[in-house]
Amino acid sequence: MLYRTAGQFKTSYQADQALFPVRQDAVLLAIILAFAWGGLPLLASEFAFQTLLIPILIYSLAALGLNLLTGFAGQLSLGTAAFMGVGAYACYKMVTLMPWMNPVVAILLSGGFSAGVGVAFGIPSLRIKGFYLAIATLAAQFFLVWLFEKWGWLYNYNASGAIQVPNLTMFGIYVSGPQADSRVQYYVVLAVVMLMTWMCINLTRGTLGRTWKATRDMDIAAELIGINLMRSKLTAFAVSSYVVGVAGALFVFMWRGAAEPNLFDIPLSFRILFIAIIGGLGSVMGNYLGAILIVGLPVVLGTVPEALGIPISSATVEHLNVMIVGALIVFFLIIEPHGLARLWALIREKLIIWPFPH
Amino acid sequence: MTKFTRIAAAAALGAMVGQAAMAEGLSTPNLAYRTGPFAATGIPLMNGQADYMAMLNARDGGIGGIPIDFFECETGYSTEKGVECYEKTKSNAIVSQPWSTGITLQVLPKTNVDQIPILASGYGFSPMADGKVFHWAFNTPLSYWDGASIILKYIKEMGDLSGKKVAFLHLDHPFGKEPLPYLEMKAESEGFELLPIPVGLKEMQNQSAQWLQVRRERPDYVIMWGWGAMNAGAITEAVKTKFPMDKMLGVWWSGHDADLRLVGEDGKGYKSVSWSFPNSDAPVMADVKKLVVDAGKSQTSPEEMDGVFYSRGLVISAILAEGITVAQEHAGKPDISPADLRWGLENLNLTQARLDELGLSGMVPPFSTSCANHTGHSGGWILEWDGAKFVKASDLIMPESEAISELETAKAREYAEANAPWPVNEDCQM
Amino acid sequence: MLNDIFIKPFIDMVEAPDFLLQVLWEGLVSGILYALIALGFVLIFRSSRIFNFAQGIMVVFAALTLVGLHAMGVPAWICVILTLGVMFLLAVTIERVVLRPLVGQPDIILFMATIGITLFLIGLGEIIFGGENKVMITEELGIPTDSVVLEPWGGLLILEQKDITAVIVAALLVVALLLFLNKTRMGRAIRALGDDHQAALSVGISLQQIWVLVWFIAGIIALVTGIAWGARAGVSFALEVIAYKALPVLMLGGLESITGAIIGGLLIGMMEKLFEIYWGQPLLGGNTETWFAFVLALIVLLFRPQGLFGERIIERV
Repeated sequence: MLYRTAGQFKTSYQADQALFPVRQDAVLLAIILAFAWGGLPLLASEFAFQTLLIPILIYSLAALGLNLLTGFAGQLSLGTAAFMGVGAYACYKMVTLMPWMNPVVAILLSGGFSAGVGVAFGIPSLRIKGFYLAIATLAAQFFLVWLFEKWGWLYNYNASGAIQVPNLTMFGIYVSGPQADSRVQYYVVLAVVMLMTWMCINLTRGTLGRTWKATRDMDIAAELIGINLMRSKLTAFAVSSYVVGVAGALFVFMWRGAAEPNLFDIPLSFRILFIAIIGGLGSVMGNYLGAILIVGLPVVLGTVPEALGIPISSATVEHLNVMIVGALIVFFLIIEPHGLARLWALIREKLIIWPFPH
Repeated sequence: MTKFTRIAAAAALGAMVGQAAMAEGLSTPNLAYRTGPFAATGIPLMNGQADYMAMLNARDGGIGGIPIDFFECETGYSTEKGVECYEKTKSNAIVSQPWSTGITLQVLPKTNVDQIPILASGYGFSPMADGKVFHWAFNTPLSYWDGASIILKYIKEMGDLSGKKVAFLHLDHPFGKEPLPYLEMKAESEGFELLPIPVGLKEMQNQSAQWLQVRRERPDYVIMWGWGAMNAGAITEAVKTKFPMDKMLGVWWSGHDADLRLVGEDGKGYKSVSWSFPNSDAPVMADVKKLVVDAGKSQTSPEEMDGVFYSRGLVISAILAEGITVAQEHAGKPDISPADLRWGLENLNLTQARLDELGLSGMVPPFSTSCANHTGHSGGWILEWDGAKFVKASDLIMPESEAISELETAKAREYAEANAPWPVNEDCQM
Repeated sequence: MLNDIFIKPFIDMVEAPDFLLQVLWEGLVSGILYALIALGFVLIFRSSRIFNFAQGIMVVFAALTLVGLHAMGVPAWICVILTLGVMFLLAVTIERVVLRPLVGQPDIILFMATIGITLFLIGLGEIIFGGENKVMITEELGIPTDSVVLEPWGGLLILEQKDITAVIVAALLVVALLLFLNKTRMGRAIRALGDDHQAALSVGISLQQIWVLVWFIAGIIALVTGIAWGARAGVSFALEVIAYKALPVLMLGGLESITGAIIGGLLIGMMEKLFEIYWGQPLLGGNTETWFAFVLALIVLLFRPQGLFGERIIERV
């Protein structure tokens, strides 16, 4: 009833291809955005900002970047974290070399560096496919992390080898570093993530996105109908790495405050891959749902025994947590291999015909 | 719809838990790591820490009449989890114990804003010793630079250093790189050749490449900065390549009984610097055994209790407890605030007499802190593995304080500048 | 600079041939272990098209079970048998709970499922056995622990007896496996399944049975790997990371080829050690072993996209 689409007629191709052909979708999104901009910051505690809201947004963005590559262009990558690292280190170098730079501009520019590196490591994809390619992206993963460790210039020859985010201001307000307020950081992240998402949605709907999808579904067939595979695959690597790099810069500058090279090691890559797959490959919204599940769940689970007063050591909770996350991944893959986005699509379809099913 | 109901539920639960942590007593969270590749080093330390606090609660009803709410938040030595734990536990905590150099570095800038002292006993960032810059951070009783200094002093006692080759086998991680600035400085002034050999986190268990390098370079000494699984890996490889064990010295985290037990007799002669020593006859051990272990409130084992690391955990808790006591006396009330505790930790005066009174005879060297000196620079012993356990191989050796404090001040300034605006403690006149 | 890259390393090799032999031996031993893990991957991939990421944690799990049982006072050899039993149970459970419901899903979904299994086993293992480092019961299993010291050309070459044992056992295992796959009914069934699922099903080969069997064999290989590696550096969860080393081996050798896994493993083991010692440490600051194998495999793949021994990829629309 609420979601009834009857009566919403389209009279032009433009209207039919609009971002929200169904009015309710737009309304729902507006409500969610209003809540994200206005409601949540009023309700949430510092703990919620630091362990749920900000990381969920950043992880969603990283997963979105990966999803462009894996879900839309069909190139499986296991090196996401390393590209995040490239973004983070590039951003760090930029703000330390040019302290006058606006931090948000620096974050957006840093994606450019990871896009470049992404294209370089994407070249093998022209020859290698499937799992072979996945392992090849691991070469990027391990090599880049090693480079972050060995190349002293990247971390300004800091004795500990870690990078520390300086206090940066924008219009007189601290946006990064220890002096920054979580709420401010949340707004910056939210704004960047929204911008990126908007860009990605439109990219995937346009020519480029369709080229990617054709490449994903069968690259030889795509080539035969005149798609330049090299361009298609390399743009996918570039755009994906750009988004991932921006996510990496946000990850360190807006959330973590400091980073050591092994932060960008393979567990982070897998975590993002989980989000993209549980959320649903080839979907934009799925990344958000996946991030809520994969990032939010362990935090919530970790607080449950304490809240219920069950006497159980924190180590056991952590172990159980790992087990539950593992089991949940398997469980979700079994019940819905196409991810949470598909689950939502099913719910939405039910809602559209409710309360009068056929 | 599902999306924001979930966020809301999570946020609500998070907020609820923030309050639920408000338990009785002084909240002293410990960001423990009983899991992951470093668990081997972590478990005995965490047990020692927890047992001492449990003993105080059982024997004295806490400190100054107020029970200690000592609880753990598991990090698995992951920096990410560590920050999550810090955020989760900080609401009414009077102290935070981050337990990893990575987490310490991450939490360090936040302490100025949150105004909670962090106690990083024997780890963390060496320049934290400069209390004027690092108001809220403490790394009693020895910093890594002190440790490196003691090792070099000990080596010098065995013979001249100039012209020698010293390999520095370290974990490729902020922790392992920590003593490098000091060692590089000394290599220049003492005229020995420093050969840093990094061990990657993935290489900890299989260090054959590193030890082939040792074999090729033939260093006169190997100084090891290892943690967790890296220790066992290094010591087994050293035995295998027949490197003379008495030429191998480790930091205090590399002196773990369980690691050496892997090689047993073959490890004889291996040395490690330490600022703590197990003393089974100390009164405090008897109390812990009677009130905590025999009462079934501990996760430890008799074998572990005799080890170096368990007693180190105990000493760390004792330092914290002493800080609380001092703070309570100063504040004139048992229910102290984080700021009071900071004062307490800045004014520790653990003389030998006080240590005996606490029942810690022989377990930690006497030391004192001040607002300018957040480490205490207690000095340490060189322990030697005799094939079955660690024994003291030297008297108390003091680190060379002048060169170190100069380096500390310089690096602390550097840190403050890089993190400007960084408040400096102007009140401290020392 | 050019001298350091192209000439000096080779002079070093010639000047100290005993050291070169030692380097090659260390590489060989690591290579054997990489090959064993890769073998577990290949077996499962061939029969079910599953890229089994859980092979690494199975190694840890097998070794932990063995040591854990022994700590409870069970004699060593009974421990081995009981551990095999546990690995069998694990195989049955994985087949029943995870694989069967996922039959026919895309490769990446199955791959993710094995990562899920990995996480689950990590949590379970930590709860049951605890996270601390444990000593492998090397002597109790009758593995010699002394070392053989040779002096070729007046130099020094140290061979650990347990490494020699590992090499021999691995060789025997591979021979046994090849015999099993080529000469027995079950083995042929496994190969048939690898060639064509539907054809195999239509001639009456039971998918479920074969899967359990294959996972069980992977479990046996995991146990052998766990013993060999555990004897070198103790048993702990840090062992899990060696599983990553098997991946470039697979790339190089091809995902379907058993010979490829073995030759690839040995090749990578020795090459990465040589590179690290003669080029990585003097020129690049060391620790190149983390990525060298991947980059090597990547370069090979650029010229042979199916790996050195993989089946030729024929693509049709």
